[in-house]
Amino acid sequence: MRSPFAYAPRPWPLQSASPGAAVVYLGAFAAVAFAYSTPVVLAAAGVGLAVAGRLAGARAAVRAALWMGLTLALLIVLVNALVVSRGETVLLRLGDVPLLSDVVTAEALAAGAVIGLRAAVVMVAFAVYSACVDPDRVLRALRPLARRSALTATLVSRLVPVAAADAARLRDAARLRGPGAAPVGRAPLARRLLAGSLDRSVDVAATLELRGYSLEPSRSRAGATFFRPIRTKKRCTRRGEAESVRAGSRSRYDRRFCATGAAVLVAAIAGKVLGADAFSEYPSVAVGLEPSTLGLSTLGLSALLVLAGFAPRHG
Amino acid sequence: MVELGVPTRSAPALAVRSLTYSYPGPAAPALRDVSLELAPGELVLLAGRSTCGKSTLLRAACGLVPHFHGGEIDGRIEVAGIDALASGPGELASAVGYLAQDPETQVVSTTVAAEIELPLEMRGDAPGARARAVEEVALALAIPHLLGRAVDTLSGGELQRVALAAALVTRPKLVLLDEPTSQLDPVAGDELIWLLRRLNEEWGVTILLAEHRLERCLAAADRVVAMESGRIAFDGAPREFLAWAQESDVALETPAARLFSLCGIEPLPVGVRDARRTLRGAGVAHPPHRAGRRVSDSGPADPVLQARALWVALDAGEGPRDVLRDFDLIVRRGERVALMGRNGAGKSTLLRTAAGLLDPVRGSAEVPSGMALLTQNPSDYLVRERVGDELPGEAGTAALRAVGLEPALEADPRDLSGGERQRLALAITLAGRIDGGELPGLVALDEPTRGMDRARKDDLVGLIDDLAARGAGLLLATHDVEFAAAFAERVVLLGEGVVIADGPAAEVLSGGWYFATEVARVLDLPGVVTPDQGAAALRLEDD
Repeated sequence: MRSPFAYAPRPWPLQSASPGAAVVYLGAFAAVAFAYSTPVVLAAAGVGLAVAGRLAGARAAVRAALWMGLTLALLIVLVNALVVSRGETVLLRLGDVPLLSDVVTAEALAAGAVIGLRAAVVMVAFAVYSACVDPDRVLRALRPLARRSALTATLVSRLVPVAAADAARLRDAARLRGPGAAPVGRAPLARRLLAGSLDRSVDVAATLELRGYSLEPSRSRAGATFFRPIRTKKRCTRRGEAESVRAGSRSRYDRRFCATGAAVLVAAIAGKVLGADAFSEYPSVAVGLEPSTLGLSTLGLSALLVLAGFAPRHG
Repeated sequence: MVELGVPTRSAPALAVRSLTYSYPGPAAPALRDVSLELAPGELVLLAGRSTCGKSTLLRAACGLVPHFHGGEIDGRIEVAGIDALASGPGELASAVGYLAQDPETQVVSTTVAAEIELPLEMRGDAPGARARAVEEVALALAIPHLLGRAVDTLSGGELQRVALAAALVTRPKLVLLDEPTSQLDPVAGDELIWLLRRLNEEWGVTILLAEHRLERCLAAADRVVAMESGRIAFDGAPREFLAWAQESDVALETPAARLFSLCGIEPLPVGVRDARRTLRGAGVAHPPHRAGRRVSDSGPADPVLQARALWVALDAGEGPRDVLRDFDLIVRRGERVALMGRNGAGKSTLLRTAAGLLDPVRGSAEVPSGMALLTQNPSDYLVRERVGDELPGEAGTAALRAVGLEPALEADPRDLSGGERQRLALAITLAGRIDGGELPGLVALDEPTRGMDRARKDDLVGLIDDLAARGAGLLLATHDVEFAAAFAERVVLLGEGVVIADGPAAEVLSGGWYFATEVARVLDLPGVVTPDQGAAALRLEDD
């Protein structure tokens, strides 16, 4: 069974865009999530990404990322509430418990929720990237930038597919452990997955070296860059199989994705300056709903139009 | 004098001179003073036990050692006149094709066509030339139907062919292969070896092939190089190699050579045809047919696996496909059963369904007295840094005792040998399922001999015998017919999700061509599959 995060070619604008344009577009949402603490903006970025993913046919990836992201968010809320004692609104008194706060406050819960929401938004952005941006094109587009580092290129383009395959195997192995073996919690499994995936990425990078990745790109390929890659047309057959046909032109959607991403970034910076990030957790929760906040949120959501406004691309 | 970095026509395909290499860290040298020369157009078999340095030598010949792995190196390597120590793997890419053991780490693209085209694209070939080269190599390897497929929908065998195609597409002068048949069923394995021979003869490609299953490729080789502890211990013709192995390391003898050794017949055969010719010359060409060795009647023992009218479908991204179809099988306590068949026949699917990892569409696979399943990669089970932490308490100790690893309680699993890691992983699956010394009803292993030399396989046979003697039913999915002949009393042969043969190992493994041992192919005697059985049969004939 394929991982929901594995790339699958589909005739939608996001899959057709060059990796650079897709990164600018999706990265703008992720940048907003990193820069802002206002739940309204974070929620707008999250909804924007989730809808963008669904519009790009990555419904399974969005669903899986939301599930994982919200589980992580819940954990962060819980931990933050138990270890942070700041805030005026005491909901529960725990007494003297080593390592834990003596009270649970509404503000600590809210602060945890904001951190969790941020993590969830970033995970959704990464999931949409992984499911919608062709790693082959990323690999080729990175070549002028990272020709001497096949490992870097491999980590950027192949780590997720490699980790997804490893995760499935490790999950199976964990289920097959005898009842008397030490149980495998999420943390050891995640550590093992990360270490194993990095190891395997090194092997994949070795293969990339052997394929000549570090060779000087020829004159005919000199124009290929992260923003103007060698385009791979994916012709979707009835079974969803992809047939690679290479051409030299860029996607007609690139400019719009880049422009939209840039607009979101500029608006995010302007919003920061104008005080659109009016949110404070402590000592009491205060959410500012200034026009700039609402304006930025609206812009974030309207950025979806760049996807929703186009018909699927065939052939 | 050869100018560095400039390939020359008359240069050897590979020249290694006094090469000593150590991986980074305090490890002992992996290669010690190795000198070797391969003439253009040679097909050379690289033999030796696990960790003897075969893979390291191949990695040095393609530039990964030391450019990618680091470490300390001394000596000289030239590939088609190019200094491999001065040039990296990228510069060597057009002269050398390399195929490593694990095909899953050898694909870097999402589709087969893109994967095969990648080396040409990196080299800067024109699109027309790339398309033609991809088509030709796909035809040569019989994989044009795979070109449009996504690589993550391919089986291990298909991946291996795709990786080989990517290694060959630039038409390199030298091709290095590290156990290319380890993932392949006997049919695909034989086809691959003969394909290499054809490429060698028709394209003039020099081939250096590292393999453990020597019986599969010895007849195709021009020359054999055997390694021992990082050194070259033998370098000569295949027949001379067999004589050397007979004296120096019997674990490297082929089954047919072992048969001849036991019977005192000379010269030792390099393949089935050679063996038959020699036997004909010795007057033992047509021994009488004998009844096959029967296994003990396993009827009264409890069933430990009951698969009834089992249908299982898998979806690899192209819609569901029936992998097991109306499948029936009963395995009983104490039985040692080999599950064989081509790649994709349904072996792993059966084991995974019985273990509860897959749900049947219809029918059932019951394991009434429990089951322990060890999947193909034992390292997947090892997540902690101390054996005792993986297996705490009395249940853990009992499991370690069952596989003979009790003394390794304090060891780091990463420090264990490959065979020990496999035992530890098996212990992890057994832990808590051993009831008062009694093992779970069924112990199943999926392709346990991948990358193993014969000595390690013999150890595994010993472990299997021990587990069976303690009452477990053993069910092993394997492509290795010689291993199946050594451990199994019964062989179940699958084809396209149904049982196509089920009987005593000696009968099933002597009744065909591909799923038959080398001795069975030489003697063509029903029920005679191992060198010992063959020798006994020939002695009877003498009497």
